[in-house]
Amino acid sequence: MSRIVITGNSAICAAGLDPAAIVDTLTAGRSMVGPIAGWDAEKWPNSQAAEVPDYNGGKLLGDRKLLKLVRRSDVFGIYAGTQAIEQAGLPAHTQALDAASAAEYADQTGCYVGSGGGAFEVNYDFFPLMAESGDSLATFGTELPNTVNPMWLLRSLPNNVLCHVSIRNQLKGPNGCITNHTTSGILSVIESAWALREGDAQRVVAIAHDAPIEPQTLLYLDQVGLVSKDVLRPFDARHDGCVLGEGAAALVLETEASANERGATILGEYLGGGDASEGEGIFCIRDDGDGLSRAIDLALIDAGLKPSDVGMIVAHGNGTEQSDASETAALLRVFGKDMPPVTTNKWSIGHLFASSGLVDIAIGLEAGRRGVVPGVATLDQLAPSCAELNVTKQNRETRTDIVLVLCRGFAGTNAAVLLRAVR
Amino acid sequence: MTARRRVAITGIGLVTPAGLDAASTWARVKAAKGCGGPITLFDASGFSTRIAAEVKGFDSLPPIDDRKLLKYASRAHRFALAAADQAIVDAGIRPTQQDAARWGCVVGAGMMTIAHPEIAAIQKAAAPDGDFQANGILQEPVAQDVMAFSRSLSTAGISLLLRRFGIRGYASSVHTACASGGQAVGTALRLIRRGVADRVLTGGFDSMISPVGLSGFCLLSAVSPDNDNPERASRPFDLTRNGFLLGEGAGFLVLEEWNSAVQRGATIYAELAGDGNSLSSYRITDSHPSGDGPIQAMRRAITDAGAEQSDIDYLNAHGTSTPMNDRSECAAVNVVFEGRAKEVGVSSTKSVMGHLIAAAGAVEAGICALAIRDGLMPPNANLQQLDPDCDVNIVRDAPRSARIGMALSNSLGFGGSNSCLAFRNPEETAALIAAGR
Repeated sequence: MSRIVITGNSAICAAGLDPAAIVDTLTAGRSMVGPIAGWDAEKWPNSQAAEVPDYNGGKLLGDRKLLKLVRRSDVFGIYAGTQAIEQAGLPAHTQALDAASAAEYADQTGCYVGSGGGAFEVNYDFFPLMAESGDSLATFGTELPNTVNPMWLLRSLPNNVLCHVSIRNQLKGPNGCITNHTTSGILSVIESAWALREGDAQRVVAIAHDAPIEPQTLLYLDQVGLVSKDVLRPFDARHDGCVLGEGAAALVLETEASANERGATILGEYLGGGDASEGEGIFCIRDDGDGLSRAIDLALIDAGLKPSDVGMIVAHGNGTEQSDASETAALLRVFGKDMPPVTTNKWSIGHLFASSGLVDIAIGLEAGRRGVVPGVATLDQLAPSCAELNVTKQNRETRTDIVLVLCRGFAGTNAAVLLRAVR
Repeated sequence: MTARRRVAITGIGLVTPAGLDAASTWARVKAAKGCGGPITLFDASGFSTRIAAEVKGFDSLPPIDDRKLLKYASRAHRFALAAADQAIVDAGIRPTQQDAARWGCVVGAGMMTIAHPEIAAIQKAAAPDGDFQANGILQEPVAQDVMAFSRSLSTAGISLLLRRFGIRGYASSVHTACASGGQAVGTALRLIRRGVADRVLTGGFDSMISPVGLSGFCLLSAVSPDNDNPERASRPFDLTRNGFLLGEGAGFLVLEEWNSAVQRGATIYAELAGDGNSLSSYRITDSHPSGDGPIQAMRRAITDAGAEQSDIDYLNAHGTSTPMNDRSECAAVNVVFEGRAKEVGVSSTKSVMGHLIAAAGAVEAGICALAIRDGLMPPNANLQQLDPDCDVNIVRDAPRSARIGMALSNSLGFGGSNSCLAFRNPEETAALIAAGR
């Protein structure tokens, strides 16, 4: 099997507009969590989140007209996709091709997107109509065309980023839009890699995006008991839940031949991935970390690696007691006493749900390229259930150039990806 | 290199406007009797389109018999649970403690949100004058209702299926609008080929027959406004077609690695032989009039199945009954099949049951498998005057008896994702295997 290389790596979240800025923030020990600016959340049970500062949708998109057709989550996704594609040098290369070669190139370039966000806010466009029609659905129907934007449905499509990034960049190959809550982004990378392995494409753009910091989502997550009062402290004795974040990330993955044809800079290599579910229910996870440990085992087998090959682990670390404890159990089951340095990013950038796995890959790749395992600044004392986890407050050096990224979601879903970072 | 793993379809479950199981759905599809009618699920009297194809007489409790589980299920999830249960029973196999990790699950999930009464409660609490004020929801019970939240999650449907059937392997939900079901089934095929799973429960589910769901399509003028003639509202390829008929439901399949299905003596409907995917990269709602996009998906599915275009006997078209889709799709058919397009029977299941959106591709995959089993191409209902721009060999009026060696099923989505699945008659597959291929 030929190597799968990474030639574009982008990310946007509260900590910055590219992976380098985000890793700088993490290694400086800075949390981006602060009071929510999106609405007046002073009276809310939780009023903290990691929002993208100074958000300007038109500027991020580079297209003000398109802004009317997409949501905030889509803006992040289109931004990240565009950045990764440009870093990989695809536009410059395709512009120089003749029409027939460009068509062939487009057919051989795929796109997989992990999509989330907006399940509630899209309904809010109907509120003026509902206020006007009261309890009368008959009036709702007659007044509909006078009140709601005719393009409403297109704005609310979960596959908007796939659509607009493919139109903008003429991607016509294998594709998918994965809407599997938190594991969406990491699955988009796994599916992209398979499309290359199976010879269905020579290049694939993997993107994930989410913008879950909305009032209804926050309140529901609080009811489920998943949100911290103030600080996300993964694996810490005082861990009491996660804090929401937002943003997107993207990779360009391709065959070595495709990258060499352009003389593209190789940032890293995709080595393998695995996915496993526990099937206990929407909000249930097993205490023994069974699903996560099986996902890691599958990724190691897929990559042909041993646990001792792994140089650093980017853990899910969502700061809830049950997830932290079962994640520790899973890592002990796979690595035992010989655990590579573990880090996690959500303490600084929040939980990005559908995009979290891919944002963690983008950060893990950049950190791995620097040989640094960022410390977890909000960690003071390990929780008893996490006592054997190899995680520290201080930055450390990676053990090898291989990075393991973990991701877990609702419905007991677990996924793992292994990468090699090129220094 | 070892031979590529082949995939058998051994179980089918359908909950559709045409019937509450596979047998009754197939009977009505063969009878070409349209399922459109006035909307009864809510007061649609003010909408420009007041018709849809609803699932009638459905009660999820008898098949599922788990009141606690059903509390977590929306209408679409209930269709999914019932259809998946039928598929598992039909296949005669289910995950055990020993092999649960080798079972996967891939679904095309409908658009996710809360139900209309819940949206209305949020509006009354937080936007009484239409302008949303976040603090308004702080005391609103619906905004604290964990059950409402769990039903709205993108993984709500797959969560219920994983738990219900004890599946512990690869699990993914996809959504590429109208292509969702096809892409889910295609991904499931690939999981077995890759060796990631030995068996996969796969399908799609959707129900957009709600005030907000219908609104989206009315605003785009995508649905037929033929309120006085609902049974004929969906008439793909007819010169007078004027939009699709909104349907709802679920379709599920059990897929198995071929040899293990043969060894356990399973009844095999068909081989799921190929998956083709492409992006139109043209406009958000249309394919190019030339068929660019769907052409690549169909060619890839045929190649992926190790076949030639000359092997294809039947095409279950996407055939939505919108002016643009049917024209573009027929252009694609004529390009892909070159000089022999007239030898390929074409029909659209949507002519009978309307457009099941995220479920459509999965339901139509089930229809293709049944067509191969029975050697019968289902008819395209409601075609009176063929659009000259849809110059293909439509199966008109009645089912056409013909041995089907291979069939294709198209699903083309808003957003430009195109899916094509290829199916092979199990006798042909057995012959290929005997010949060492």
